[in-house]
Amino acid sequence: MRIHRRVITAVLSCAILLGTSVRAQVNNGESIPDVTRTIALTNARVVQAPGQVQERTNVIIRDGLITTIAPDAAIPFDALEIPADSFIVYAGFIDGLSHTGIPEPKEQPNRERPDDPAFPPPEQAGIQPQQDVRSLLDPEDKRITAMREAGFTAAHVVPRGRMLPGVGAIILLAGENANEMVYRGDTALYAQLAGARRMYPGTDMAVIAKLRQLYREAARRQKVEQLYAENPAGLERPQYDPVLYAMFPVLDGDRPVFFNTESVLDLHRVLAVQQELGFPMVLTGLTQSFDAIDKLKLANLPLLLTLELPKEPEDSEEEQSPDFTEVALTDAAVELPQIEAPDYDADFRVSSLVDVAAEKENLEARREIAYKAHVGNAHMLESEGLTFGFSSGSVKPGELLGNVRKMIKEGLSEDAALAALTTTPAQILGLTSSMGTVEEGKLGNLVVTKGSIFDEKGEIRYVFVDGRKYEIEPPRKSSGGDPDADVNPAGTWSLTISTPDGDIGGTLTIEGSADSWSGSLTVEIQPGAVPVEYIVLSGNELTFSFDAPGVGTVESSLILDSESLSGSFDVPGLGVATVSGTRTSDPEMSNQHHN
Amino acid sequence: MRFKTLFLSAVFVFGGNCLAQVPTGDVLVRGGTVITVTNGTLENTDVLIQNGIIAEVGENLGTPEGVSVIDATGMYVMPGIIDAHSHIGISNVNESSAPVTAQVSVGDVLNPYSISIYRALAGGVTSSHLMHGSANVIGGQNETIKHRWGLVDPDELRMAGAPRTIKFALGENPTRVHGRGSNKRPASRMGVEYVLRETFAKAERYQEAWAQYEEEAKSNPRAVSPEYNSQLEVMSDILTGDILIHCHSYRADEILMLLDVLEDFGVEHITLQHVNEGFKIAPELAEFGASASIFADWWAYKFEVYYSTAYNAAILTRNGVLTSINSDSGELNRHLYHEAAKSQKYGGLSDTEALSLITINPAKQLGIADRIGSIEVGKDGDLAIFDRHPLSVYAVNQKTIVDGIVYFDIESDADDMRLSVDPESPIETAVLHSHDDDHRCLHEGSLDLYDFLESNQ
Repeated sequence: MRIHRRVITAVLSCAILLGTSVRAQVNNGESIPDVTRTIALTNARVVQAPGQVQERTNVIIRDGLITTIAPDAAIPFDALEIPADSFIVYAGFIDGLSHTGIPEPKEQPNRERPDDPAFPPPEQAGIQPQQDVRSLLDPEDKRITAMREAGFTAAHVVPRGRMLPGVGAIILLAGENANEMVYRGDTALYAQLAGARRMYPGTDMAVIAKLRQLYREAARRQKVEQLYAENPAGLERPQYDPVLYAMFPVLDGDRPVFFNTESVLDLHRVLAVQQELGFPMVLTGLTQSFDAIDKLKLANLPLLLTLELPKEPEDSEEEQSPDFTEVALTDAAVELPQIEAPDYDADFRVSSLVDVAAEKENLEARREIAYKAHVGNAHMLESEGLTFGFSSGSVKPGELLGNVRKMIKEGLSEDAALAALTTTPAQILGLTSSMGTVEEGKLGNLVVTKGSIFDEKGEIRYVFVDGRKYEIEPPRKSSGGDPDADVNPAGTWSLTISTPDGDIGGTLTIEGSADSWSGSLTVEIQPGAVPVEYIVLSGNELTFSFDAPGVGTVESSLILDSESLSGSFDVPGLGVATVSGTRTSDPEMSNQHHN
Repeated sequence: MRFKTLFLSAVFVFGGNCLAQVPTGDVLVRGGTVITVTNGTLENTDVLIQNGIIAEVGENLGTPEGVSVIDATGMYVMPGIIDAHSHIGISNVNESSAPVTAQVSVGDVLNPYSISIYRALAGGVTSSHLMHGSANVIGGQNETIKHRWGLVDPDELRMAGAPRTIKFALGENPTRVHGRGSNKRPASRMGVEYVLRETFAKAERYQEAWAQYEEEAKSNPRAVSPEYNSQLEVMSDILTGDILIHCHSYRADEILMLLDVLEDFGVEHITLQHVNEGFKIAPELAEFGASASIFADWWAYKFEVYYSTAYNAAILTRNGVLTSINSDSGELNRHLYHEAAKSQKYGGLSDTEALSLITINPAKQLGIADRIGSIEVGKDGDLAIFDRHPLSVYAVNQKTIVDGIVYFDIESDADDMRLSVDPESPIETAVLHSHDDDHRCLHEGSLDLYDFLESNQ
């Protein structure tokens, strides 16, 4: 009798919550306990696995597991019922590789230069194969919520770092504390061609050489260890070495290396060293892999494709740099008509500076083709019979689904896309018995959408992780700048550039007026100024780029008001540095200065 | 023992053999003036290449079925030019973090997309010796490639079977980077010698330790091997003569120092790179058997290379030093035939001697003279076809052939010959001069963003 009353109370309060404050329960993550761990999604269209759809079906989740999937499944008396007539239920997405749950360190540890850059301590050189990501998890990391809102319920996460950042784990994207999030540890050793800064190994070639050294010495050391374990008599005691010992499971074939590649060159290099040393490997990243299809087929390795896509190129007149216009004008003794056709002519030939406009148009057409090749990479892999899962890498969670949709627009089938989000990462990560499909007995990890997840208008309404319900607000578009704002960037700006290695001061000088901005940048300690190029002011957003010697082109995006600015420098290979600044001289003063 | 053998064979397989099947072609170059370099100049002569190999050289050769014909009437056919010192087509040049980095190899970071490869082809260059930079006393291993433009698997650039080589460097570069830059040895020329001797001595001890272990392992199954050291593995291979040294050097005194060191450690193969004061010690170089790979007329770009002469090539050649002229540059490599011609103005070398500086001589220095460097039956079908004699200032290269395949043809030289385009790259503005690939040997690798944003110690 007493029990019965309790149930009624539970059901009642459940109904109240459903009507009023479900979101509060979801979002504050605080003290209100779950009223029920039983959920019934009724009359839903259920995509159990890619290509396998059940119409008007009930899905019952109890105690974190999917217990029943059947059209006429009885709704348990204690269930929270969600009428899902207009919804589609998918298996929760699994992120093949990312740093979700591991916040970016505010300050880079080991900032100081080692005594001898030739022999730095391993952790300073980014060699930490013994590091366990489970010790680094932070349930407060904002990316966890953001990933969940993008439909991801589980993620394979690895530590941040350089060459060998450590060992990964599978986490569920929910939980009050790190332990609750961990589904399984000790998944894989993460590796990347990322050299240390101003110490060995600094370059890609040194990272490769260091990997050979580590692997071969670890192999030798393991044999010595075995000899010693059999019988220590008469043998010098082998000394413990955390780095080498962390390689033993890799040598034994028990711990695969998830090796990240950011270009097709990386891909060739990583494959070469893997084939030479023979460690078990999952190849991740795969940017530009459309250019190495045959090699990928031969290698026959599990693949995780990054969801990162290049920015869509903009072909526009405004994009022209001042230099470019100058050249074109100086030589434009004869005005040539603008060519309309956007098609790329591979055999295009024009004498230098004679028809710059046509040449530029041709180059833009080629760039467009290159962009499409990148977006079409997933389709290329699919059509060549290569199976792959997706990984979110460092892509903003809000862009993930959009990028999948772009790939579908370039030919990727929806089934392959769904497989890459669910079943394939489950296979690669050894999770097929518990995740990846909507099946009885599996974890209650689901994505519930209105409209197809792959449709532009499709919206995620609920995400279930481990049976916990998260209601998702329809996404709101965030705008960086205000396109209607009217600001004048001319003048001198004092900058603070926040890098992982600490703050750096600088000075940005912008001159000119609309359509013919020019400028320069100086950074403290470094003598001399570098020219700032491709300056575009759009509303209150100022974008430009500059060349950092030896690193490449740094892209900058800053939001201005009359007295201050904030934004970022995107440094190739090193990441994004936050920039803030204040105006130190106004346009008039800067003009006077030059008169 | 088996373990070490395994290591060595793995290294060998990786460094020496090409897993990829490289395409070859058949072509008949008809009726040109064939400058064989090793066997005189033949008028109205045909060169038949089959399966990438020169099958026949002679007059009025028949055209085998399916073989395309290039009419070279009035043209000059020479062996593909070989650049003995280049930094094109690689993603890293210097691993400048340590004064000894023998274990790294630029062959691990080849970049077949580098447009400089195509530009080199345009200048008739068919092979380049891609070198580690000169920041370190003992730099990384180099890679000899063929300019197979359009093949994007880095393995397909490698010249399979070419001997392994390594970069050494004397003088100001290593002392500046490590001495001044990191307050480490070497800070002086004396320090450079110290680093050389110390490293060779370590390699000898390493060899001894392994030999001792291998001996002991015959009778003792519980013998414990010495630690594996990839750097000393490479140094050992230098001692055994399996890796050829190419040493960045300018001054006569430090070059003689190097020869002393090598003599003490029993190392025979040495090609001196730049060697601007070679003319001062040409007899000594000849006596040692050292080779020289030089610039035609470039010096005084820093103090240690203040003193040189455009007669260097002629003086070295006349003293019996095997000499080549290299580019060390993604620009100069397009006109190495002009650079070779300068040895005629300064020193009066014969046509054959001048052209040898960029063909058979660099081939000998790289240990590939049995394969390329001259037009001979049995050698690789690597040719450059010029409209005039290649030592004429009016000469323009028309076609470049590698392995019997035309990889450059002036007739199909479109404006945009890139193999890959970064979709996020801005459309490049017209520039008259770019310093890309220029003289990257002097690139210290410390000019990274870190320096740019932080400090330049």
